[in-house]
Amino acid sequence: MEEKVLQILEEHCIEALDYDGDSMMEDGIIDSFTVINVVSDLEDEFDIEIDAKYVVAENFKNKEAIIALVQRLLDE
Amino acid sequence: MQLLSYSFMILWAMTFALYYLVPKKMQWYVLLVSSVLFYVIGLGGFPINLLLTGVTTYGCGIYLERQLAQEKEGLKQCGDRERKKAYKALCQRKRKRVQCLYILVNLGLLLFYKYAVVALPFAENVFGAQAGFLGKVVMPLGISFYTLTAIGYVVDVGRENCAVEKDFLKVLLFLAYFPSVTQGPFCRFGQMREQFLRVHAFRYDEMVRGIQRFVWGAFKKLVIADRLGIFVDRVYGVEAVSVPGSIFACATFFYMLQLYADFSGYIDMAAGVSESFDIHLPDNFKRPYFSRSVAEFWRRWHITLGAWFKDYVMFSFVMSGIGRKIGKACKNKWNGMGRQVAPIIGTMLVWIFTGMWHGRTLSYMLWGIYYGVIMSVSLLLEPWFVGWKEKFRIRDGKAWSFFCMARTWLIVFLADVLIRSESLTQAGAVYLSFFSRLHIKGLFSSELTSYGLGKYDFLLLFMVLVIWLAVSLLEERGEDVRTYLAKKPALVRWACYYGVVLLVLITGIYGGNYDTAMFMYQSF
Repeated sequence: MEEKVLQILEEHCIEALDYDGDSMMEDGIIDSFTVINVVSDLEDEFDIEIDAKYVVAENFKNKEAIIALVQRLLDE
Repeated sequence: MQLLSYSFMILWAMTFALYYLVPKKMQWYVLLVSSVLFYVIGLGGFPINLLLTGVTTYGCGIYLERQLAQEKEGLKQCGDRERKKAYKALCQRKRKRVQCLYILVNLGLLLFYKYAVVALPFAENVFGAQAGFLGKVVMPLGISFYTLTAIGYVVDVGRENCAVEKDFLKVLLFLAYFPSVTQGPFCRFGQMREQFLRVHAFRYDEMVRGIQRFVWGAFKKLVIADRLGIFVDRVYGVEAVSVPGSIFACATFFYMLQLYADFSGYIDMAAGVSESFDIHLPDNFKRPYFSRSVAEFWRRWHITLGAWFKDYVMFSFVMSGIGRKIGKACKNKWNGMGRQVAPIIGTMLVWIFTGMWHGRTLSYMLWGIYYGVIMSVSLLLEPWFVGWKEKFRIRDGKAWSFFCMARTWLIVFLADVLIRSESLTQAGAVYLSFFSRLHIKGLFSSELTSYGLGKYDFLLLFMVLVIWLAVSLLEERGEDVRTYLAKKPALVRWACYYGVVLLVLITGIYGGNYDTAMFMYQSF
């Protein structure tokens, strides 16, 4: 799963892979358009629905947070 | 009540003294009483609209919390996944109906007050003299700010991104908190609640930092913004055909700086007042004129408004039923460009609403559409831009950065002509003047000093703008200027403090009785 998430991130926002901070959206690494495209691909890849309530800075603060979000939704 | 007025200074001083004198658990009550006082004095009447928004916000929050708790209980009774899904969808629909009603009531109020004057001629045509009351409607203080703040809280409670507040008075304090109620920044309840309720011990350094930030805000407002405003108002106040394009260009450039100095000056003052209570407001500006693209500019300008629209309009639309349908239907069309259709519609919605929020004229609507189109086109053309950059071997460096910054200034400059002009006709004439009668020489002749600012004003402006630029460059390097100054030798430090205070007192633009001009964003 992790590998697939990283692949999707690499396709849309390669900078996210090297980012080691904890506010990727606020630091301008990932903009709202990219977030939407990443969400769309994650939904298709893992057959999950990422509701707007999950699209918050906390869940997109770095690649680990995105992986954790997908894991949480897969477990639900 | 203006932040730069004697009455506000008295209110601030009294609140400050009481805040640190009362028992620590009562501190938030002091802020609530001061906020209500500030609001009532500023409004000059009973705050019926604020209370209505407060009551509906509180009630809706409680309802949503109960419904969410019921849903969790109900889900335990459901056996398989399909039944759980159906039950969840049913509960969601129920909650959304109430949320929509809440949003309709509060947005309806905002739209009524904002657009009553615009609707007057149409209403008079239909209802005759009976519609005359619309002309007397006055916008309640801060309604544009507290309405969006309140809606954000309710949506967050519904999304379970924020715990509900069960004390009505705390909800009221959140909406009416006096440093931010009139012009923001937009705060999130999750960020503020803990700060309001925490015990705050008096700290001398915190008080000093608060005062320093307040004075710096006053410097930007009184010395820079209001001085630039004299020139801008005079140029835009005369018949467009009689002013050379170069003078209009200069006035528009000044307007860009005026708006920034005025609004960020207010935010600094509000944040300074709040810091003296050991309560930190969110950042609203991060040196936007250093941006290398328009998207970056709007991530650095009025940050909390942009974040509000992104979270509650953009993402809500794209991830709604209709947004998903559009996204799925277009995803694989037009060489993959189709996947951008839903985000582009979301962007256009955001910018139309942003335009409507800022002003009630057609110019503001066009201003919003202009930015929406620029953002959307940039998104679509990004792959080509990257390709061209590689093809022409353009490297990232200082020259390229400066080019990108200049391009951003130009885009903002053209947009600001629209909102500063008195009418669309004047805006058209101003654009035309850049091409038909630029007369660059006008900038170096006595013409420049015939619009309210003399030679010494220009000299002073140059000096204070250099000071502002130096501070901005330090901040851009990641320095906190107040900490930076605190480490300097006493002589340098105090020279800087006294210098800024004296500049505010001696060169600030004051009216009769030392009244100051209204803040520009207060009218939005």
